[in-house]
Amino acid sequence: MSATYGLYVSKQTAIHRLHPLTKLTYVLTCLLIAWIVPGVWAPYIVLLVGIVPVALMAQVFPNVVQNTIKTTIPFAISLFIVQGLFWTGGTIIQQLGPFSLKEEGLLFAIRGTGRIIIAVSGFLLLSYATRSDELMLALSQKGLPSRISYVILSTLQIIPRFQHKANTILDAQRSRGLETEGSFLIRTRALLPLVFPLLLGSIVDIEERAIALEVRAFGRSGPKTSLLVLHDTNRQRLFRRLLILVSLGVIALRIYLWLAPRFAA
Amino acid sequence: MEKLKRDFNTIALAMIPIAIAINIAVGQIVKALRIPLYLDSIGTVFVGAVAGPWVGAVAGLLSNIVWAFIFGDVTNTVPYAPVAAAIGFLAGVFGKYGWFKSWWKAVLGGAITGVVASLLSAPITFYLFGGVVGTGMDVITAAFRSQGMSMLAANFLQGLATDPLDKAISFLVVYLIIRTLPDRYIDRFSRADDIR
Amino acid sequence: MISLSDVTYHYPRSDSPALSNLSLEIPAGQFCAVIGANGSGKSTLCSALAGFVPHFYRGKLTGSVEVAGIDTAGSSLAELAGTVGLVFANPFNQITGARFTVREEVAFGLENLGVPLAEMEPRIDEVLAFVRLTDLADQSPYALSGGQQQRLAIASVLVMRPKILVLDEPTSQLDPIGSKEVFAVLRDLAATDEATVVLAEQKLEWVATFADRVLGLHKGKLVADGPPAEVLSSLTLTKYGLEPTRYTQAARAAQAAGWRTDETTLPVTLEQAVEFFR
Repeated sequence: MSATYGLYVSKQTAIHRLHPLTKLTYVLTCLLIAWIVPGVWAPYIVLLVGIVPVALMAQVFPNVVQNTIKTTIPFAISLFIVQGLFWTGGTIIQQLGPFSLKEEGLLFAIRGTGRIIIAVSGFLLLSYATRSDELMLALSQKGLPSRISYVILSTLQIIPRFQHKANTILDAQRSRGLETEGSFLIRTRALLPLVFPLLLGSIVDIEERAIALEVRAFGRSGPKTSLLVLHDTNRQRLFRRLLILVSLGVIALRIYLWLAPRFAA
Repeated sequence: MEKLKRDFNTIALAMIPIAIAINIAVGQIVKALRIPLYLDSIGTVFVGAVAGPWVGAVAGLLSNIVWAFIFGDVTNTVPYAPVAAAIGFLAGVFGKYGWFKSWWKAVLGGAITGVVASLLSAPITFYLFGGVVGTGMDVITAAFRSQGMSMLAANFLQGLATDPLDKAISFLVVYLIIRTLPDRYIDRFSRADDIR
Repeated sequence: MISLSDVTYHYPRSDSPALSNLSLEIPAGQFCAVIGANGSGKSTLCSALAGFVPHFYRGKLTGSVEVAGIDTAGSSLAELAGTVGLVFANPFNQITGARFTVREEVAFGLENLGVPLAEMEPRIDEVLAFVRLTDLADQSPYALSGGQQQRLAIASVLVMRPKILVLDEPTSQLDPIGSKEVFAVLRDLAATDEATVVLAEQKLEWVATFADRVLGLHKGKLVADGPPAEVLSSLTLTKYGLEPTRYTQAARAAQAAGWRTDETTLPVTLEQAVEFFR
């Protein structure tokens, strides 16, 4: 059931079959290039060349687009207003009443929006096409402590139950006469009778869950094995190394560009 | 080192997922009640208070990461993970010095934590997002900017408008929970003596 | 297999002992039920056998608890994990949450023990068949009913091949169907003589059908010890806050009216009652 896998959208594409680390490295490299390479349009190029084709191949393009637009629009609006209109100094390209639209602010907003789009769409692409338990396993094999992996995965699975619990408490309190609509004071007073039962009830569970973990030898030190098996290929390993080289190259380029004028003087 | 190992015992590990789930559930209740606060770190503060600063920091960090995985929102979450970690860490520090033993110290600790949170969030908002958070709060930032203030300062002040109050209330709620919990449950936590 | 020697235990900040001068021996392969009213020490005994008393609950433990030759007080919980398995009442809290399918959930303990993959898979299949969850192997543990989740908990512990299995009121939070499912598994477990099982339980009728031996606890002391027919039909049950089964009660009423007054062992189960009233 997709809910337990987080954002994962189950499909049978070549992208889905890739090793989680390949997808992670790829997305991080795209992110790095989009953010570090100078120029207003760099993020958009990375988007078109790097993100869009992969999203299409993974058949998650509509999901990515929809969610990216939803998340990015508030930022875009804020950026264009705050930076476009309130840029200190700079060349005015349009007067709008008491406010003036500055060219530098506009370009900043365009680049800023692009960077956010890359971050969001890259992350979504990764999440839609990768199972979180496989990603955690891949990271564990690279050294991520199994305790962290346990925490992340079990949190993902208990959150829907918690929201259900919260709704149950909300209904129960409402049926006992709790007012949740009305003035600010009324709504604030509703907060404690809703939050408290949720918190106190959960704390009791912590003890039992800890006991269950101990029973299953979770506290044992020593190497752990895994029922789940990830499939990796030499090509992917090579590709990942290539991506890392590209990333290092981009960083080196940026440092060079930053240092060069200082040494020219 | 020994104390650290004791802090990260199985109880702490079992606690963190529940704390994160509480962060999310309470944050959503607050949104549903349309209260202009976040209150999305109550779980983190609790973990910091009862299991120590380092566990609190881990709880805050992971909370933000998981939030991104659950809601598909990577912008309001992952970049601010260090801030969430700091909140958990500070809750642990205040807990260590017994500030959860009295309600006004808890509130004060929360307010201070809120100020620190604003201080840490501002550069993140500035450098990563060009100074905006994508909500109505940006109007405040715009207003400060129109007065000639630097973007960074504007971000900081925008945070100050909500963070100290938000965290003060969160710390107070955690104080009340600790008071209400039967002793046998408090005993279970590694920092029990600091908070009772 | 299990040996308690003059065990007394106080929970932290508690003046009255939860266990008081408890001494008993349970041989390998025995299915031992522990009965007692609430607060009699059943849960504490279960926790002590698995080592959670004293390692988890702290408090003061005197005397020795030895399981499969290991002294619980001297070993860590991690060391005891492969030897003693514990199942408790709440099925939901026994799901780790870190695995997305029933099969993987069962594997969790084996992964922590470092069991190689080739050995894991047949063991998991075997235990899933035993608890009758094979059809649900690819489902999410959270999609299961209470009884199914509790059987999953039992499977997850059994797969680790513990020498001793302790169950602390495993059916108290289940509906009648779930309880029946779990008891069916326990009955199968009792039939195999390999498992040493300690079952704390309130449902006396079930206990009677497959326990080899019944221990009665009252205020932390051992007050009864014998075969089910003897202990469960005893008149002293009510003194210790327990209700005899309805079969026993019916038989007692019949005896008071003159039926088979010479019979000293009263029925505890349905089959025995049928025999008694023949």
